[in-house]
Amino acid sequence: MNTNHESIFSDEEKDILQEIMNIAFGNATADLANIIDIYVVLNVPDIHVIGMGDLPRYLDETIKLKGESSIVEQKFWGDFNGSGLLVFPDRTGKDLICILDQNQQCTLERPLAILEQEMLVEIGNILIGACVGKVADLLDTFVTYSPPQALTQTGQSKKALIESFDIDQSAIIMKTVFEFENKNINGFLLIITNSESIGWLRKALHAFLESYE
Amino acid sequence: MIFNQIFEMVNVGIVILDKNLNVYEWNRWMEIHSNISKKKIVGSPLFDHYPFLNNKWFLRSCKSVLAFGNFSFFSQKLHQYCFPFKPINTMNCKFKFMQQNCTLGPLRDEKHQITHLYIMVQDVTEVAAYECTLVELNSRDGLTGVYNRKFFESRLREEFERFKRYQTNYSLIMQDIDFFKGVNDTFGHLAGDHVLKAFASVIISRIRGADIIARYGGEEFCCLLPETPISSAQTLAEHIRKKIEDMVFEYEGLEIKITVSQGIAESDATMTSPDHILKLADEALYEAKRTGRNKIVTHTASRLKETKAAEAAPPKGA
Repeated sequence: MNTNHESIFSDEEKDILQEIMNIAFGNATADLANIIDIYVVLNVPDIHVIGMGDLPRYLDETIKLKGESSIVEQKFWGDFNGSGLLVFPDRTGKDLICILDQNQQCTLERPLAILEQEMLVEIGNILIGACVGKVADLLDTFVTYSPPQALTQTGQSKKALIESFDIDQSAIIMKTVFEFENKNINGFLLIITNSESIGWLRKALHAFLESYE
Repeated sequence: MIFNQIFEMVNVGIVILDKNLNVYEWNRWMEIHSNISKKKIVGSPLFDHYPFLNNKWFLRSCKSVLAFGNFSFFSQKLHQYCFPFKPINTMNCKFKFMQQNCTLGPLRDEKHQITHLYIMVQDVTEVAAYECTLVELNSRDGLTGVYNRKFFESRLREEFERFKRYQTNYSLIMQDIDFFKGVNDTFGHLAGDHVLKAFASVIISRIRGADIIARYGGEEFCCLLPETPISSAQTLAEHIRKKIEDMVFEYEGLEIKITVSQGIAESDATMTSPDHILKLADEALYEAKRTGRNKIVTHTASRLKETKAAEAAPPKGA
């Protein structure tokens, strides 16, 4: 990947961000289990800085984006600003129904395709919200979210998603692999933030570090 | 003071709940549409008034707002509404309840701690109604009122998926009016349009509610018959063939006779794409045309089989 983009953050800054993600995702996992009975394992996150223009290739190579994959996208804004993407490499929508609950009579009347989409969006909203929210907490800010969208039907919506990023910018990608306990369902969570938030993020990272010194 | 006025005046429902989901605020919009006054509801549990909201989905949303500062969205598309209110404009309203987009979000104190959550309720009934109309228009053929090709193709895909998943057989009849160009040339295009409409209504009167009739091309129609073996499709096609053969289409004093050729195919395990059955039915239809028209040819196990032969003649005034 492009070294210019890599140099946006020093190694130390990346380490702090990594540490923040570890703490945030740990908190998120614990709260998801305690509060809403969702048992999810979030692996240690990876952090990459790449050009937005390389994002399509990154998505293709890293998460094997194919026709069958389901993506939920949710934008968030505030000081910390970007998109959360939850990617299920295979069609798992209907398996997700068992993670939430199956006894809701209100959902059973609907066609399966709608139900699957509903599950994806709901899970996306919860996971992206929990992870982004905890990162924001640690960085002493809060964010506002746009409604999550499921991009499941065609390649068209994925193309539109990729085009919605400004290719001249840098993307900081925080990627984690997640797995639902005992359910054999896994996927990727990406938090992508653009260079507009980088100045703020750097300050926040140093402030975070100082609070421990 | 000014903020309070906005809170009461805005054309959006705003509810504020405390951490125990008791109502803390209830704006005028909510009072008007719910018929519950602020005085009566503030301080009491929301679920006392709306017990059906006490479900896992709503609770989970509230918890994730309170615990994570998440926003939670109840879109009209997926949920239709959160609060069962009467639609404002009941004239021509196809909805029993006001359609709503609802958003739940956190409210924080000065230390950034979440103390309350808000629910914003937006009336989107009108938009939803327009959307229904658009969807309807987009799926229908303007002339005959039956489904159009685009809708038919999407249903064909769904039926194919269902077959792959549950092995529920389905059949397809492709129909083409014989010598239709002759109808247009002899009697004029308006007469031709009339025949197309009347032909479509004959088929509609013969099929079941779950069947799909679509205009596939000019004078070509398709019937998609879910959970139907080819033998039943054949019976139906024969009814239609006979009915059309016997029928006299009347248009402004003209009497027009037509016949129809039909090709039938059935789903089977070797099909690799939704279009496959269409191709088979089309081949069968071609065979029916080639071998004399006004007949039905079925396509089973890659063998074309003629089931009914009769003489067809170019259209003429009866």
